Amino acid sequence: MKRLAAIVALATFATATACGTTGTTEAAQTAGGGVYTTIDGSKQINASAPINPFNPVGSVFAGYNGMALAWPKNDPVDPNRFYPGLADSWTTTPDQSEVVIHLQPDARWSDGKPVTSEDVRVSIGLAYTQGGTAYALDPRAAGAAADIQVVDAKTIKITQGANRSGMFLSNLLSTVVVPAHVFGGLLPSDFWQTLKVAQDGAGPAAETAKAEITGLAEKVIAFTPERDVSAGPFVLERVNPGAALLKRNPYFYDSAAIVPDKVKVLNYTGNEQIWNYLIAGKLDNAPFTSVPSAVMERIRAAGGSKVIKGYSPVATSMAFNQSHKPYDNVHVRRALAYLIDRAQVTKIASPEGGTPAVTTSGIHAKAARAWLDGGFDRLDPYRVDAAKAEAELRAAGMTKRNGRWALPGGKPWKVRIHVPASFSDWVAAAKSISSQLGDHGIDATVVTAADYTLYLGELADGKYDVAFWLIGLGPSPYNIFQRLYGQANGWQMFGGRLSHVPPGTQGNWMGGPETVEAGADGTVNPGELTSRLSYTGPEERKRIVGVLARLTNEQLPVIQLWDYVNTQFANTSRYTAFPPDDHDALRLSSGVWMQLGMIKKRQV
Amino acid sequence: MTATLRVRARSKTSPTSSASPKAVVRRVAGHVARGLVMIWVVATISFVIIREIPGDPVRGQYESLIQKGMSPEQAERATAVLYGFLPTGSLWEQYLGYMNSLLHFDLGRSLSTPGVEVTTLIGSAARWTVLPVLAGTLLSFLLGVIMGVYAAIKRSGRLGDVLALSGSLLHGVPVYVIGLLLTAIFATLWPIMPSGGPVDVEHVPGLNPGYLGSLAHHAVLPVVTYTLASYGGWILAMKSNVVAVLGDDFILAAELRGLKRGIVFRYIARNAILPLFTILALSIGMLFGGSIFIEQIFNYPGLGLLLVGSISSRDYALMGGTFLVITIGIVVANIVADLLYTAIDPRVRSGGSA
Repeated sequence: MKRLAAIVALATFATATACGTTGTTEAAQTAGGGVYTTIDGSKQINASAPINPFNPVGSVFAGYNGMALAWPKNDPVDPNRFYPGLADSWTTTPDQSEVVIHLQPDARWSDGKPVTSEDVRVSIGLAYTQGGTAYALDPRAAGAAADIQVVDAKTIKITQGANRSGMFLSNLLSTVVVPAHVFGGLLPSDFWQTLKVAQDGAGPAAETAKAEITGLAEKVIAFTPERDVSAGPFVLERVNPGAALLKRNPYFYDSAAIVPDKVKVLNYTGNEQIWNYLIAGKLDNAPFTSVPSAVMERIRAAGGSKVIKGYSPVATSMAFNQSHKPYDNVHVRRALAYLIDRAQVTKIASPEGGTPAVTTSGIHAKAARAWLDGGFDRLDPYRVDAAKAEAELRAAGMTKRNGRWALPGGKPWKVRIHVPASFSDWVAAAKSISSQLGDHGIDATVVTAADYTLYLGELADGKYDVAFWLIGLGPSPYNIFQRLYGQANGWQMFGGRLSHVPPGTQGNWMGGPETVEAGADGTVNPGELTSRLSYTGPEERKRIVGVLARLTNEQLPVIQLWDYVNTQFANTSRYTAFPPDDHDALRLSSGVWMQLGMIKKRQV
Repeated sequence: MTATLRVRARSKTSPTSSASPKAVVRRVAGHVARGLVMIWVVATISFVIIREIPGDPVRGQYESLIQKGMSPEQAERATAVLYGFLPTGSLWEQYLGYMNSLLHFDLGRSLSTPGVEVTTLIGSAARWTVLPVLAGTLLSFLLGVIMGVYAAIKRSGRLGDVLALSGSLLHGVPVYVIGLLLTAIFATLWPIMPSGGPVDVEHVPGLNPGYLGSLAHHAVLPVVTYTLASYGGWILAMKSNVVAVLGDDFILAAELRGLKRGIVFRYIARNAILPLFTILALSIGMLFGGSIFIEQIFNYPGLGLLLVGSISSRDYALMGGTFLVITIGIVVANIVADLLYTAIDPRVRSGGSA
């Protein structure tokens, strides 16, 4: 027992020591700017991962120690609006065939070396090994860079290939820049010649060159620099499985704008940890997390707690597998749209993070208004209307017996709504919908998949009749409609050529028809129109968006349920000057906010 | 009667007979051989099961990034290369490659942490699992055994009732409820404990008071949770064993002979604890599986969390590696338990004199 008492005493002492020392040792060493605490919503911290932005879980945090040429503004329609990053400015020809980028004149890496055009060139070379639209090896791919020319130490010119895309500038400016003196060794000395052969050559030589370049991908992704060399406002000091600690980069080009001395990025394994941090007031900022109403009230009650809301170009929908009966019948889809009370669904599923969809257009309402002008109000809003729903169901040949709807042959109709079990908002929404449909005589059940990977696998295999699906991923109109008329619906791009595969094959689980009669717009191929959005001019782009929005509204491959709201959490106890509601930097990290001159120390 | 009891008491409490070194080596070799066969069988079964789990890991990763707000372009770029980390070839070819790698102690490279060796990830996670779970297991065992003896001896008194009730209650409460409750009380309502992570990143790692103190501070809630969650089982098992031993003749004889209370207590405890040693050894073996709920709640990056993450991301190599480590842990624990039991209880020693 004496030994036990000694152990207990030792443990108590250790706890007391810990309580007395935690957060004091290095906080005391800061110069008054304090430690800014936040969460990176895009990934979980992995202490074993390299400090490498090409690694999906690498310890590089955008806006802090990870720098892009520029940072995208949260514009509903224009994907080419950016804030400067390592690029101080840029010019482009109207067709984006040529982009000239001028780097920040004072930009330096955290080891004191200047950021040069060579760094950008090497970064682009490394990006080619990873693929991506602007850095596609296939010369026929739309929006691929064809030539990279270093003009001088701070200027670089990039030329677009013959198959032009309106997304070229956007993709180019999103390039993450790494130091050539650290990452440059990953590229073989003959890399640029090999790239030339891959892009311009033909036959086996070109194929060999492509294989050589893509063969570098794994080497690039696994590359582990000994230490962080950053051109951002911070540089990684250390990382453990619970958090990453970044300290100020003294060589950052606009160091005066940066207030915190350090940034602590906390890891999380579940939303409830973020809630606890927010309730305890430990986080200066956290990205949107799905929060139940009761928890939200407690977060709001925390001292200094603040919620910032803005536009988020994402929407949740209930999608149909049109190769499964009766969902191949547009009347059935419309009937369901007339029966679902989207306001009620949103109130239950995502009261803080969503607004009920005004209608189904495939686009977030804010972007839709901007794209369609008055046309948006002419779309069918599908307000709850049991009489219209009944008429649609009868038009589909459905019959009602003993108050329950049955399939045309008389068989019972069972609507199975599939959702991943881990998405609590989707599960709540699906349950609300099944309840509403039940009230109207439709036998509906919710079926959950054990995890998201399984859900996506079964979805792609065409196993589901009705399933939840994210849509409206703007601002690029191509990205928006690619969710509805892309691979999930049978359209695939191979070597610059578009083809349509039969339902149930190669990930075509939506099973829509290849061409559709679209009233005044005639017969349209929605996948082909979507594909054109990636390279066509502004006027034509607007026309196509109009056609596709009307088509989506009439054909309802999905029922748009709610549009997401970007809900950011902030705490003004330690720092102030957070971006206001609807600011176009709201979707960027706090590190970028600091670069833009936001985030000031609270004056006591 | 007295002579018989004396023999029994001695045989249970003071194992003195010894097997020849040759027999011990033969026994250990037999255990090791059976253990290796067991590991091979489990590795083979888990290999097949893992490859048959439905779901496309790259598609899953892509959609997860989209869900987190990444643009399709960025998400596509971030996931395209992952295909290179997926195993290729027929199932049989993959199996032969896997077994060949295992013989060279190579568990492959992770898909969810691309480019990083599975052994590195498991090694990194193991240290965050072994210490807290081991501490929790031993602490709960110690508390449970001591309190179990008291609960049995005082079973007709109020103390016995209270102890037995505490065991039943805690045994019935799921570990995640205890964890969430402790977090809510000590990390949110009365925030004197950290709510997540294994150590405050502000402290420089090393043998310095700040770092070590932070480690201990962060380990308190997970260890207490684990202790409380397992304590109930130990106390109830120990109480039941002690009650059974109390009815044995040799205890009555010891009391009648007027042996000191402490000696009688030792007789009781040492005989009642025997079956619990096997469970303890297996529990220690199981600790390589981590405690998924505790690690999830406290954001403790141990093997349990690693396993769950590997399953949700369909990281085949990491899943296989983690299963293998758990299997080896349990097999080794089984062997150790067998050998220990043989050593401490002569009745199970083959060819022994008892």
